[in-house]
Amino acid sequence: MIELVNISKSYDGKINVIENLNLHINKGEIVVLIGESGCGKTTTLRMINRLNEPTGGTILINGEDYTKISKIELRRQLGYVIQKVGLMPHLTVGKNIEIIPELKGWDKQKRKERAYELLDVVDLPPEEYYDRFPHELSGGQQQRIGVARALAVNPDIILMDEPFSALDPVTREQLQKELLKLQDELGKTIVFVTHDMDEALKIGDRIAVMKDGKILQYDTPEGILKNPANDFVEYFVGKNRLWKTPEMLRAEDIMHKSLVTVGQKRSPAQVIEVMKEKDLERIFIVETETSKPQPPIGFITRAILREQGDKNVKMSSICNKNFVAIQHDAKMTDVLKIMEDRDARHLPVLDDDGNLIGMITTASILNLITKAVAGEEES
Amino acid sequence: MNDVNFFQFVASRSDELIGLTIQHIQITGLAVILAIFLGVPVGILISKNKNMRSPVLGIANIFQTIPSLALFGLIIPLLGTGYVPSVFVLFLYALLPIIKNTFIGINSVGEAIIDAGRGMGMTSKQILTKVEIPLALPVIMGGIRISTVINIGTATIAALIGAGGLGEMIFKGISMASNNMVLAGAIPTALLAISIDKILGIFETKLTPKGITSQKDTAK
Repeated sequence: MIELVNISKSYDGKINVIENLNLHINKGEIVVLIGESGCGKTTTLRMINRLNEPTGGTILINGEDYTKISKIELRRQLGYVIQKVGLMPHLTVGKNIEIIPELKGWDKQKRKERAYELLDVVDLPPEEYYDRFPHELSGGQQQRIGVARALAVNPDIILMDEPFSALDPVTREQLQKELLKLQDELGKTIVFVTHDMDEALKIGDRIAVMKDGKILQYDTPEGILKNPANDFVEYFVGKNRLWKTPEMLRAEDIMHKSLVTVGQKRSPAQVIEVMKEKDLERIFIVETETSKPQPPIGFITRAILREQGDKNVKMSSICNKNFVAIQHDAKMTDVLKIMEDRDARHLPVLDDDGNLIGMITTASILNLITKAVAGEEES
Repeated sequence: MNDVNFFQFVASRSDELIGLTIQHIQITGLAVILAIFLGVPVGILISKNKNMRSPVLGIANIFQTIPSLALFGLIIPLLGTGYVPSVFVLFLYALLPIIKNTFIGINSVGEAIIDAGRGMGMTSKQILTKVEIPLALPVIMGGIRISTVINIGTATIAALIGAGGLGEMIFKGISMASNNMVLAGAIPTALLAISIDKILGIFETKLTPKGITSQKDTAK
């Protein structure tokens, strides 16, 4: 959809504020550009609608070099929302939304219908707001108008430059939610600049972490949290943020990986020995004991073994095969739900092929809470 | 002379006074209109072109600084006396407030508003005509008002170089030591200045976009 190829930008002809930047944005995706102030995120955004001209490189929109159409034409195809909103104070809310439709020569009726429609979209009753002036509205309401205005001629792409940064936290959160809802309904491609990591994680399908005019990492929120590309990204994200973001956590992130299993051919005496040595109450049975993960057959507890008279019985025949397992990529919320519903204290974790790769216990959950609290104290 | 009171004097000279008042309005009006035609575009130009800003404002400032009587004196060798040089000098006087206010008005339109306008695809011309000028209009109008009021006063001096107007009555009165005559020129001049100021004030309010007027109200 949008492709930035080897883009560089210099304001004074000497220092490159953006250097060899490549960014590929897919259709229908929300991409967040994030970084400290001066990292070039806003410059990058403003190069997409040519408010800043790149010094080098090309930008493709839908595969076409965007300099082929005039700046004015280009900008009318891209919605633009800025932090300070920039509503025209001398125009009513309705007229503000209708600016571009009017310049495009839409007739009055069509313009008004569109403005009404958009006021509905941003949750402001049109009858009440159409004829009001911007200064009569709160900051949050003004930015809703800003978003409605950006949608006026139904652009496929919307550029947003810290649109919610100036709002109070409650309003900000509300507008973030509504943006996501809007995105579900309209499926726009959105490029979103922010310096707020919480915001980026909340709304971004992908996040580009920028520093000194370069993209350090371009990945999903999960990827950024779990595999920061370098120390800066890790620092910028916040070391323990992952643990405070349960919706990003998967079963494999919190499971115990050092797992003791026994082969199905072991005798009860041997298994008791292993359990005593490792201080285990229960142990999972697999085909054979190798370092390679294998599917779990069932589990054995000390109680089962104690009741067992036959000293040569095979584990596979006495183990309890009635257990719940969970996929490695199951969400934390699902993990907790299963543990609660089934009253399970041990939850085996399986990989895509059904092999046992880890175990989630109540201790893992405790461990998680500890880390989250530690992260809280750190920040 | 003392047996004629002021009102009797005005009544006896009413035709002449009305003529002079109309002449006064004509001179000032023409000078201000010419100053608007030059001053507003120049003000817009220097709001866009930073290089031209200080030379233009500098020159306009010089005209404003020269005492009016001296400026009339300076213009006589060039344009002689009479109607044309008078209007020309008054025009020079009217320029600075109009240029300056236009420049300030345009320049004080919020950056975010311009950025939003450009970003959504308005051309520079559309931004000027649909955003900057409407928002600057009250300030520009303020400049016109100041120019006009100053010029009504200055125009009395223009009578010295034969422009006519109410100044003629004042200077004649001074030379004839007639208080009635001086007052018959001075009082209408003062009334004219006050009433024009009021009228233009009403215009200024009318021209202020609604969204901004009510903004000021709520600010109070």
